[in-house]
Amino acid sequence: MIYLNLLFTFFKIGLFSFGGGYAILAMIQQEVVLNHAWLTEAEYVQVVAISQMTPGPIAINAATFIGYQKAGIIGSLLCTLGVTLPSLLIMLTITISYLKLKKLPWFQQIFKRLKLLSVGLIAAALIMIIDHAVENWYALGIFTACFLATWKFKLNPFTMLIMAAIFGMICGTV
Amino acid sequence: MLLRIFLTFLKIGAFTIGGGYAMIPLIKREVCERQGWITEDEFLDGLAAAQSCPGSIAVNISIYTGYHVRGNIGMLLAVLGTIIPSTISILIIAMLFQRYAEQTLVQRAFTALRPAVVALIAVPLIQMARKSGLTLKNAWFPLVIALVVGVLNVSPVYPILLTLIYALWESRS
Repeated sequence: MIYLNLLFTFFKIGLFSFGGGYAILAMIQQEVVLNHAWLTEAEYVQVVAISQMTPGPIAINAATFIGYQKAGIIGSLLCTLGVTLPSLLIMLTITISYLKLKKLPWFQQIFKRLKLLSVGLIAAALIMIIDHAVENWYALGIFTACFLATWKFKLNPFTMLIMAAIFGMICGTV
Repeated sequence: MLLRIFLTFLKIGAFTIGGGYAMIPLIKREVCERQGWITEDEFLDGLAAAQSCPGSIAVNISIYTGYHVRGNIGMLLAVLGTIIPSTISILIIAMLFQRYAEQTLVQRAFTALRPAVVALIAVPLIQMARKSGLTLKNAWFPLVIALVVGVLNVSPVYPILLTLIYALWESRS
């Protein structure tokens, strides 16, 4: 039952996606590429690129896209619902009691640890994607240029991706 | 009022490209300055909570703000506003993509987009590492997580659960 499977998988992704967009990527790749083989590595990199170029949170974008590819519009809605539902439940609980919670030592400690955890998870996402995205000198050159443009020269991601796409259309070979 | 909540978050959802962290300044300007729904301190509290909860940061902060402004219904409208622009725009792209993915021009564009995407993960990694209180002493922790998840392909679920348990154990009194 693909619908239930999509809903459940994205619920799980939503539940364990600590640290925001980029940390979620490692979890999505694990589930969607390695566990379920819904996408190949190459398709996954395309989904990430498209998610970063369209407005809105990356997790929502990726969920909608993968859901549509696997099971049409219903699939896309179920994946979006699945990935959002855990946030709704947990964040609502915390919102209601945040003023009390933030004084508790265990809550502060979890928060401190989670920050370091998400650094590790983003690094993991980077390791997992780099093999399939930077495979020759041409790609390494583009990576370096894009990295410097966003990091040193504060070029916004959208403009950078559009420029990369145009460059690829002119210079890329398939 | 309810319509204003929905429209404000619709705007936030529609105009933020590049995910959670890119959205924060815009959300802050809208909800603290333009609309004056919550104070800056409340926003920073909400941001801290949003970052420690699972899920996308933009969705979490819209839950927080929506709830503060108008309870459960405010929260639901804020979340819908945040995700509707992404859902619709990505659906259109997904439909087009199925038709045009095999085109040479699209394939060529992706030869450069693939490495560009890696750069877009590397930059926030550095920024997050700086803000996370990383020192030589505790660097082993994110390093081990990166290797276990990234190289050994262990599901992030296990390190996350272990981290939560460890943090609770550390703070026992």
